[in-house]
Parts: sequence; structure tokens; C-alpha cells
Amino acid sequence: MMHSAILSGHYLPNDTPIHRLNPRAKIISFFTLLAVVIITRSTVGYTALGLLLLSLAHLSKTGPRIVFSGIRRVGLFLLLIFLMNALFFNGDRPLWEYAFFHISVGGIAQGANVALKVIFLMALSSILMTTTTPMEITDTFAWLLSPLQRLRIPVHDFALMISIAIQFIPVLAEESETIIKAQTARAAKLDSPKLREKANALLPLVLPIFISAFRRADELALAMEARGFRGGKFRTRKSSPGFTRLDFAALTISIAFCAAAVILHR
Amino acid sequence: MSNVKKLIITAVCIALCVVLPMAFHAIPNAGSIFLPMHIPVLLCGLICGWPFGLAAGLAGPFLSALITGMPPMAFLPSMLVELSVYGIVAGILAALIRTGKPILDLYFSLIGALLAGRLVAGILNALIFRAGSYSIGAWVTGYFATALPGIIIQLILIPAIVFALERAKLIPRRYN
Repeated sequence: MMHSAILSGHYLPNDTPIHRLNPRAKIISFFTLLAVVIITRSTVGYTALGLLLLSLAHLSKTGPRIVFSGIRRVGLFLLLIFLMNALFFNGDRPLWEYAFFHISVGGIAQGANVALKVIFLMALSSILMTTTTPMEITDTFAWLLSPLQRLRIPVHDFALMISIAIQFIPVLAEESETIIKAQTARAAKLDSPKLREKANALLPLVLPIFISAFRRADELALAMEARGFRGGKFRTRKSSPGFTRLDFAALTISIAFCAAAVILHR
Repeated sequence: MSNVKKLIITAVCIALCVVLPMAFHAIPNAGSIFLPMHIPVLLCGLICGWPFGLAAGLAGPFLSALITGMPPMAFLPSMLVELSVYGIVAGILAALIRTGKPILDLYFSLIGALLAGRLVAGILNALIFRAGSYSIGAWVTGYFATALPGIIIQLILIPAIVFALERAKLIPRRYN
């Protein structure tokens, strides 16, 4: 149940051009394309973005099924966003009106615009997470944030925290799943329609999750301290390889998309 | 508590920001009512101090959005601000308030953090994120009326978790 939820954003090892990209180039391209999704609001823009995402899914051998799998979980939420905009947004070219309901072409377009942005953002995140290892992501974030070191912000500690957090997620998810199953077997009323019964079911669910998570944290901290870990500037890391033609091509394509989106939606 | 342990506890709290909402989705509608992502951030601020609370408040929702798609990117900025303020204020108040009774310290810090986070998020929604389309009514409904079960749950759960962790000797006691 929970594992399938994580799988859409889990690293899938493979040897594809997208996997081979320098993580720095990949993450800069990701943020550039993120800006494209935010700027885009026309049919032409969404069609071009959709084709680009499908090509990336094909190139990374991730496949549209995994890339778009996260969207199924938020399907109801997307439908709600669409309906809220379609029914209540007082847009141009009204089609039908009754009391506070206004269905208009503008409202439907606004609803579709918001829903499409969420879908494309999720697909983009999914491609990044399935083709980049957690360590590569954290090292790149540390590199991107490194100017903040001049302000005495402990960037390396922050990157280490993210890296440990990413590695803890599947472990804690599995443990939470076991705890939920155990509590359901003990007749916990998790699906009761009454708020009070739901709230009562939470304490025996949440407490063991926290105790178990903090116990793991305690063991890991003890092990790291016993090995003389000091963190921060004392930590060494593998140097990042330079940019190749493939990396420059990825950066050029994403910047070209961003420039086209800015010109198209001026 | 050593800096390394604070660092690891913060990492675990960030991981719980991703895992807990998924666990709460096992209970119908619980995610939106019980605000599960707030609990690890508040705990982190209370236990490790404000810099670590801030880190959890920033990284937790961001990582969750990246991995699970929730919260959606459209709501991420206001959530980042709200949770960061929770982490910072919980940490500052936990360090400043020392009544001699751990339960009172916890409640004062928690209530202060919950109010400050909602206040700052409301101001930023009105001025930046939803400028022109945000009212005091929307703020009260969104942050207090709809969230009331979540606030009550947090006020019950967080002290219970802190005392359970102290009893298990996983965090040091506030007063010896």
C-alpha cells in the first residue's frame, strides 16, 4: 500500500542517457523545466511540454506508467481542483449560471490549467527521482547551496540530513505499514466515520512509529560518534565529474524551452 | 544532546514528514484533518532547538512534495513558511520557557508555535501567495475551524510522544 506510493519516486537503476547525465546538469535542467511548467498556460505550451515529458520517460526507460503513477493517488484532489474552478470561477463566456454556480469557458480553462500544472510537476519530479540516486541529489543540493556557507549556514550538515532522511523513508514506511496492520488486527477503528474514534485510533498508531524512528536515530548517532564522525567541513566526498556534451545538450534544451515559454506567454 | 544526535533526529523527523502523511492516508480523510506533517516538525523544534526545527520545516514538505507529490507544488510555498515558523518558534520557546514543570513548558511552547505559524502563514498568504483573494474569514476557516481536530490532536499527541521518548531514554529529560 505505502510502498507502491513511494515507488513512483524511487531510484530505478539503469544505463540510459538520462541516468548518465551529470546530476548537477540534471537538477539545473529540472528547475528550469519547473519554471516552464509554472509559466505555461496555453494549449501549444502544454502539448510541447507533454511531448517533452513523454520523450524523457521513454529515454530514461522509466515509462509513462511509472512517471504518471503518482497522479492516480491525487486523482480525486485534481478532480476537486478542476470542479472548484469550473463551478465557482466567474470567468468569461458563461455557459450556465444558477445561484453561486458559474460554469464558463474561462472557468473550465482555469480548472484544466491548474490540474495540468500539478500533473506535469509530479511527472517531472518522478523522472528526476527515478533517474538520480539520493546521494547525487543531496551532493548537488549542497553544491547549489554552497554560496550560503559564506553566511555561516551549515550547508553540508543540511545536505547530510536530507541524505539520511531519504535513506530512512523506505525503512520507516515499511515499519509504519507493519504497525498499521498490527493495530488493524487489534480492531483499531481506523476507518470509523466518527472523528473521536478516528482520533482514539491515532495514539497507538503514532506512538510506536515515533519510538521506533527515534530508536533508529539513537543507534545511528551512536554508531557515527563511535566512528569519530564530526560532519561539516571535516567530511570528504567524491568529486563530481565535469560536464559532457550530453549535459550541455540537456541544459540547452531546457533553457530553450524556458525562453520559448517566456516569449509565448508574454 | 550531541550535535550529531540532533542532526540524525532532524533527519528522522524529515523522513517522518514524508511517511506519516502516507500512514495517515490509511485513515479516510485523516491527512487533511489531522495535519500529520506538522507533528514531526514541532517535535524537532521542541527537542533539538530552532535551527534544527527550521531545517525540518523547510526540508520535510519539500521532500514530501518531491517524492509523493503531496503537498502539491502550488501549496508548497505557504506550507514551507508555516512549518518553518512552527519549527523556529517551538525551538525558541522551548529554550526560553522554564516554568519548572515540563508539561507547562511543552504546552506554552506548542501553543505559541501553533499561533505564530498560522499568523505568519496568514499574513504571507494575504500579502504574497494569494494577494487580493484572501480574507480574515478564509484565514480563520482554513487555519482554525477546519484544522481544529488537527490542533487538538497535536496538543494531545506531542506531549505524549515527548514523555514516551523521555521514558524510553531516547531523549534527555528536561529537568533532572
